Amino acid sequence: MLGNKWFWLVFLVVIGALITMNQTSLPREDITMLEKVVHGVYTPLQNGVNNIRGHWGNLGDLLSDKRAMQSRIQELEQRNAQMAIDNQALREYEAQAKRLQNILQFKEDNLDIYDLQVAAIIARSPNNWHKTVLINVGANAGIEPGMPVIHPDGLVGRISRVNSDSAQVSLITDREMAVGVILQRSRETNGIVEGTGSSHLLRMNNIPYYSSIEENDRVITSGLSANYPKGIDVGIVSKVNREPSGLLLSAEVKPAVDFDRLEEVLVITNYHPPIVEDDEEMGE
Amino acid sequence: MVKKYIILAFLPLLAVFLQSTLFHHFSIKGSIPDMVLILVVFYALFRGGRRGTLYGLLCGLLEDLYMGHFIGVNMLAKGFTGYILGRAQGTVFKENLWVGIIAVVAGTLINSLVVAVLLLANGSMLELEVAYSILYQCLYNLLLAGPIYLWYYYSIYDRLFRMTGES
Repeated sequence: MLGNKWFWLVFLVVIGALITMNQTSLPREDITMLEKVVHGVYTPLQNGVNNIRGHWGNLGDLLSDKRAMQSRIQELEQRNAQMAIDNQALREYEAQAKRLQNILQFKEDNLDIYDLQVAAIIARSPNNWHKTVLINVGANAGIEPGMPVIHPDGLVGRISRVNSDSAQVSLITDREMAVGVILQRSRETNGIVEGTGSSHLLRMNNIPYYSSIEENDRVITSGLSANYPKGIDVGIVSKVNREPSGLLLSAEVKPAVDFDRLEEVLVITNYHPPIVEDDEEMGE
Repeated sequence: MVKKYIILAFLPLLAVFLQSTLFHHFSIKGSIPDMVLILVVFYALFRGGRRGTLYGLLCGLLEDLYMGHFIGVNMLAKGFTGYILGRAQGTVFKENLWVGIIAVVAGTLINSLVVAVLLLANGSMLELEVAYSILYQCLYNLLLAGPIYLWYYYSIYDRLFRMTGES
């Protein structure tokens, strides 16, 4: 067996694969030539399919029922009017909050100070193990690894790999992702939301047993994990479980974003994580 | 001869393309099929362990390079699946469609098991949801296996890949 050339070849391939696996298990700043070639072949094709799909969608609109469209427009107009009123009230609150912040000399980061780059999703992960999407902007548009990605509904994920004209976004539903969160209502519970690999389920861990967490509590980013700005919607608590140890709770969280239907996202291009004063290494 | 290799190289490229775009519109509970694996299983079944392993390794590498994360996991999983199912070459009655379908289900389970073990060994956490997604993928692969097997079978005996005997 040991004199067999075939055996040694497979042995070397296995060892090589185990090493690259380990080396590429963490996010990398740069990608290899081979990966660039693979993406160089696929990105134009995926872009093309996405464009065709867009045109087909328009064709579908033309052919679809006029009456259904009319009632939909009416419904949206109504909602728009309601939102305009809500907006007025919120603007009042915003002005009030800013006044109070000024009085308290309080510097808070707010979503409206960020530069957003719109991107279309052109492809998704080709297997079920990783939850990623490919967007149609890359290094040429100033995209860098680590930039947070959001949607009007809530947090989407972060840029994990960048090519010249495309970038890979790791979704928060990916098993490798973790987001520092707080509960919007009580502001007290710091927890970590982790992906489970399912598009409809996130898990919030490490909640102390005395926490006031309840079903339907809204979960938002805490800004503590340094990867994401503070205050972005993550999801809603759907179930609270007691851990077997009795000291901790865990919760199931329904993501705010519908990841199966996601078509466009916004990349925050000018978010700089807060500088950590001491030399402690910040975890994920 | 050259045409055969071009088709063998083109098929997994097409499969990855479909899996990253079209199949997501027809996913079952968020799970998509693994057409690359189906191709590896059939190739191994018809051409034996050695070629099956090689084809599995190359197809898996393509998928790994596309993902850029844990490069080598799919390569080893698909290579191993190709090897195991290639061992069955010569012992099973390939004229029977059920052989192809059962081989795909077995292949999906072997492949998922190897991926899970390798991911766990690299410090990744797996939840129960993974088991469901593997089951849904088995179901989806099962649906695709029949038509692809028929196409593959007739292609081999018709024109596409003329058999020259397994080494």
